[in-house]
Formats: sequence, C-alpha cells, structure tokens
Amino acid sequence: MEYLKFTPRLARDWKNALSHSSKSEPYIFKRVMDSMNESQLESKLWIIQELIKLNIKPKKVAILAGWFAQYIVPLLYDNFDSIEWIANYEIDRDVKDLSYKFNKKYFENEKYGVEIKNIMFDIMPKQWDTDTIINCACEHMYPMWKFRDLNKHVQENPLYILQSSNDDQHDDHINCVQSEDELIVQSKINHVMYSGSKVLANKSTRFMVIGR
Amino acid sequence: MNNILCMNWGDKYDDSYVEKLKEQCEENCSVPFKFWCFTDRPDKDWHIPIPKTLDKFYDKERDFFWAYRKCYMFRYGQMPDDIRWFPDNSKFLFLDLDVIIHQDLKYFFELPNDKPWIVRGWWNDILTVKKNYAKYKSTPLNSSAILWKKGEMMPVWEHVNKHAELIFFTYPSLDNYFTHHWYDPWNEDDGFLRGFPQGDIYSWYKGNVFPDDMEAKKLRKECKVCLFNNSSEINDVEELKSLWSI
Repeated sequence: MEYLKFTPRLARDWKNALSHSSKSEPYIFKRVMDSMNESQLESKLWIIQELIKLNIKPKKVAILAGWFAQYIVPLLYDNFDSIEWIANYEIDRDVKDLSYKFNKKYFENEKYGVEIKNIMFDIMPKQWDTDTIINCACEHMYPMWKFRDLNKHVQENPLYILQSSNDDQHDDHINCVQSEDELIVQSKINHVMYSGSKVLANKSTRFMVIGR
Repeated sequence: MNNILCMNWGDKYDDSYVEKLKEQCEENCSVPFKFWCFTDRPDKDWHIPIPKTLDKFYDKERDFFWAYRKCYMFRYGQMPDDIRWFPDNSKFLFLDLDVIIHQDLKYFFELPNDKPWIVRGWWNDILTVKKNYAKYKSTPLNSSAILWKKGEMMPVWEHVNKHAELIFFTYPSLDNYFTHHWYDPWNEDDGFLRGFPQGDIYSWYKGNVFPDDMEAKKLRKECKVCLFNNSSEINDVEELKSLWSI
C-alpha cells in the first residue's frame, strides 16, 4: 500500500473539516496542516505495509495520541476488512470535534470514537476490549512500558505497533530514541515481529516496532 | 489562622530576599498571620527545612526548571505526625520571593475558600494556551502565588508523590503539570484549581490582562501583587531590587 484512497466521500469530509478549522478555529489550523504533511502520511502508510506483510488482521484498534487521525483511520478501514472499531485516545480537547469531521463516515457509522484521556496516568476500564494498540507518538511521552504496566490487568497481550523518532528539535519531543532497539527496550516488547527505521521527507529518522 | 509561606533554595536568592518578603507582608497585611519559610538553610524558628524525598526523581540532565519543592508545602501542616500543627481552618498563602506587594493581603485571606486559588496568568492569550496544550507549552497558570486551606492541596501532594518520576519526565514545569492535571483551560471554572480574578496579580515582564493591558515593565499599584518570574532577562534580580524601594 503506497497511497491513501482519496474517495469522493473522503474529499467531502476533509473539505468540511478543513473549512471548519480555518473559519471557526483558526488557532488550530496550523496544527491541522502539520498533521497532514508528507512525513505524517509516510509513517502511517509504513504501518499498513508492514501489517499486510505480517498478515495481521486487527479487529479492535486503540490509537494512542492519534491527533486528528485523518490518515490512519481510513487507511486501516480500507486495508483490513477485519476491523470493527477504532478508538483514539488524546489529551487535546480541540482534537475531538475536528477528528470526527475528518472521519465523519466512520464516526456516523459508529466505527470510530475519540476519548480525551491521559493514557500514562488514567487506567483503561476493565471492559476495555482491544487487540491492537498503535502509538505513533512515543517520542511525545514517557516510555511505553508504563502504559503496559498500568493496564496489565485489563489487556490480554495485545499487539503493539509503536513509532518514535530521533528528531529532538521540538520541545514536546520529550522521549526521542536513536534506534528501533532502544524503542523495543523502553517499551519492553518481548516478542518482536517487525522492527525497522525509515528516513522521512523531513529528514528525521522514524523507528517502528511491531510486537507483543 | 492565616499563614504566609515562601520557599528559598539554591543560590539565586540570598536570605535578604526572604527578609524583604517578610517585611513587605508585615507592612501590607492588616489581618494576623504567621510567616514561614521553607529553606535549605534553616536557622530561625520560622524556618522549615525543605524535605528531600523527591530529589531522586529530578533529572538535572533534562534541564527542566521544575519547582517540585513547592509540592512539599501542600503536605506540611496536614499530616497528623507533623511537628507543626495547624488548626483545621488554617489558610495558607504562598508567595514567591520575587514579588512586590502593592495592596493589603487581607484580601486573599477573605476570598471564598471552597477551592484552592492560583495565579491565572491573564496576560496569556487563551487560544495560544489551548494551541500549545499538547506541546507542554504556554501554561496559563503561574505558581508564584497559591492560596489554599488546610488539607485542600493534599491530593496534589499525593499525586506528585505517587507519580514523581513520570511527572518530572513529562512536564517541563510545575505550572505545566498543574495545567494538565488540576486545571481545565477549556472550562476554566471547572478545574480543581481556580485562578485569582483578573487584575489581582500581574507580571512585570508580560503585562496584566490580554489583549488590552499588556504593557511590560509598568507598575500597577491598583493590583495586589506584581510577579517577576518568567523572565528571560539576566538582570531580573537587580531589576527587582531596584523596585523594592518604590
């Protein structure tokens, strides 16, 4: 998979989302633009490519710190018939409405939800039912072993798809790594199914680990 | 019982700053109060030694300015086995050392005490605060002045004590931590902490209220307190000293 299926329906939803952002919430418009750059799409396509190679069939997906999730949600649904539900856990309250606009098709069909939650502090509910956890923002937070430890009583060994970066130029990149191995260690992934790195269009190196 | 607290550690401020703050409080508070200083150099009966239990979680290499020592204040006087005993209705007003007091501090002790109060930096544009929230920048809160009644801030102490390593790693400042866990920039009346009203406390370097009253380095004697922190200027200490005599 080297592209996103930009269907007429997706075009309509994205146009509405961008229009709303630029008119009603101009203070977040730059962030929306940042979330849609070339590197963002590259890193999400990379996930899809590797999941297909590994023949993984995700069902219930949790995205941690997924931002507006305008790339990853349609990419997952378009490539995996197995997916039943995607949840996005974010700390930024401005994300919710706009993410629903971008992903209106999935939101309206009860296939996508956003929950405002600090995932490093707030434990997931006992009935939390997810088999695949995606975090493309590991550089923005404390090492993922903490999340795993916090939720060890509510998870049954889910698949983790983790990405991080060596790009330490940004104040909010509080946990950059220098290799995929460092990401494996700090996430305490025991069974590594895939690990690799990719130099993105913005010249930073992105690392990805898939495993349990 | 009213208490005014300050804190002094390290070598930026010598004891003269504590004495000056104490003098300012005595000149500008018309209700009875006790003055206390948490310090790493205790030698007076109103000095309280700063504990060190959180020191091991602070990573100097991250270069975050983390005023985590302030969190000890929220515990002291509230634990049953503490040597300093405060009556249940005690109120605590914390002030940074680099402040100028313009008006009677009695005002603060008479504020409604159903929630703790903290400086809401009204000089911040709330849209910038929201925009930068997830980037851990542009906090609307400033911990240079905090008001609480006995026991009220205990949940904050317990949270910091329980999650110190995670908190110190994640948030670049105490104010940022407060904003993420004890305040809600989207619903400012709903947070655990409440901001002092507009016009009470202003910043020497940043102004008073966005966007209409933002002139920096302007004394506003109609306000209660002037703050000098958040400065990127290297001579801020000298500037504060020069204004003490005004």
